[in-house]
Amino acid sequence: MSVIRRTISTPILLTLILIAIALIAVTAGSRPFNQTVIDIFLRVILVVGLYIFIGNSGVMSFGHIGFTCLGGYAAAWLTIPPMMKQTLLPGLPDWLMNAQLPYWAGAIFAALWAALWAAMFGKILMRLSGIAASIATFAMLAMINTVYSNWESVTAATSSVVGIPIIRSIWPYLIAAIIAVIVAWLHAISRAGLALRAARDEPTAAAASGVDIPKQRLIAFTLSGVVMGMGGALFAHSIGVVTPDTFYLTLTFTTLSMLVVGGIGSLSGAVLGVVILSSLIQALRWLEAGVTIGTTTIAIPNGLQEIALGIVMILILIRRPAGIMANSELRWPRPNLDAANPQNPGEDPRPQTTQQQ
Amino acid sequence: MSLLALSNLTIRYGRLTAVRNVTFTLTEGEILFITGPNGAGKSSLLRAIAGVTPPAGGRIDFAGQDITGRAPEDIARMGLSMVPEGREVFGSLTIEENLLVGTGMHAATRNWRSRAATELEAVYATFPILKDRRHSQAGLLSGGQQQMLVIGRALMTNSRLIAIDEPSLGLAPNITDQVYERLIALRAHRALTLLIVEQSSTRAQLVGGRMILMRGGEVLLDGDARAMGQSEAMQAAYFGYGEH
Repeated sequence: MSVIRRTISTPILLTLILIAIALIAVTAGSRPFNQTVIDIFLRVILVVGLYIFIGNSGVMSFGHIGFTCLGGYAAAWLTIPPMMKQTLLPGLPDWLMNAQLPYWAGAIFAALWAALWAAMFGKILMRLSGIAASIATFAMLAMINTVYSNWESVTAATSSVVGIPIIRSIWPYLIAAIIAVIVAWLHAISRAGLALRAARDEPTAAAASGVDIPKQRLIAFTLSGVVMGMGGALFAHSIGVVTPDTFYLTLTFTTLSMLVVGGIGSLSGAVLGVVILSSLIQALRWLEAGVTIGTTTIAIPNGLQEIALGIVMILILIRRPAGIMANSELRWPRPNLDAANPQNPGEDPRPQTTQQQ
Repeated sequence: MSLLALSNLTIRYGRLTAVRNVTFTLTEGEILFITGPNGAGKSSLLRAIAGVTPPAGGRIDFAGQDITGRAPEDIARMGLSMVPEGREVFGSLTIEENLLVGTGMHAATRNWRSRAATELEAVYATFPILKDRRHSQAGLLSGGQQQMLVIGRALMTNSRLIAIDEPSLGLAPNITDQVYERLIALRAHRALTLLIVEQSSTRAQLVGGRMILMRGGEVLLDGDARAMGQSEAMQAAYFGYGEH
């Protein structure tokens, strides 16, 4: 049985979950709820982008939102009408000043632009391991933020870059999230993904088997840069405004905590972490705004949302220290395993959500 | 024909000499046990042969080429794999994925998966238990199965010589029996040359073959394992009385 056939149920199930969320939004038909669902899809893209590198390499990165920043501003440069750019961003070169691409073409270039920088940074950073690598990626985030906060003529420094066409339909975001899931899945089952995961488990043994660890990490880093850049472009189109601080610490830690809660080593965990935490955040927001039952309105005090969210995250990590999915993926139940496993009938060695280690 | 030849091999860690002037040759298809008490330099010798620890002096030839000081991945590609002590399996990967990594991730060949399929079947034929559980995570295997897996991974490189450091470490005796049974069958089937480090000489006497007894970084005895079994020199090597 080929590796694709054996693992394809994971991206299919995740895609179905995303489509189901989109259908709920369509059925509900309310505009604020639409925006909530768009936010979920955006976070799915970003967290899956993080998973491609962090999940497979085991190296924690605090810098990936920097690529989202690169993607977001690239989308702004490519899609804001030239008239507005002339007053807002007078330092742009002519070819960029006169460009006005449709949002999807802008997103493709934004993804490539982010990948270019990921490849260049990665070439230097991927030799590092462990905490040194994490600190270096954080420094990279700070560098990108500093440049974008100060290069007034092309980024408008810390003031908002406005005029980015706003896309309110949920479908482009859904499609991009599905693309991110498929890219992550294909990478994970590829030879590069296999080599990288081996290096994550036992670096010495992997190197002795011929795995070029810096190279495999660079491949994943660049690929995750593509996804983060695409996410940044769509992020810009979802709100129509970018500032350097849109893509800084808050977004970094929101997305990382979703990945950790879902399970760092699992693609399903990346998606479910976003879906579960986002739903929770939304539910708490409604409660803060007040729910009317009959004639009485019940509302929780303002600020309780953050506290409740924190408590839930702690509880999840106490119960499942490796995240909701740990290292496993969502799959179809596989009855055929028993047939291939006559000595242990009934024993499925990899149950759907069993927690390993 | 000699497959592996060591001449005057010396290994030092700083000022400590772990292995001193060791010379021996290993013929293709032979099984050689290196035994000796703790600190005899057995593992150091193995690590030097695999290229993990560069020797301080002497020379190592493998398949007619000088491999002294070469990188471990180069040596592995030439057909000499080492199974290190402590069973380093890729715990979160499946058994099959562990074996696939063993095919050598260096060669940029197309269709590597289908090419690896032949090797995979050969390993599964040797260790049927691995085939039964090929899609389970390697970290969930028992110690004996993990030992079989790392040996299987070494076999995936199509090795001519496999050097194994303490295959019986931490295994129940009957599981050790199984591992050895497989190794012996494999040797007969694939004309594999085996270099096995064990602390105790009991296993070597049970299996038969050639045995080198080391102590304090030097070779004390070299000969037939069974014949050596009851000799006084052997007891002297372990317990330190006799000619010393």
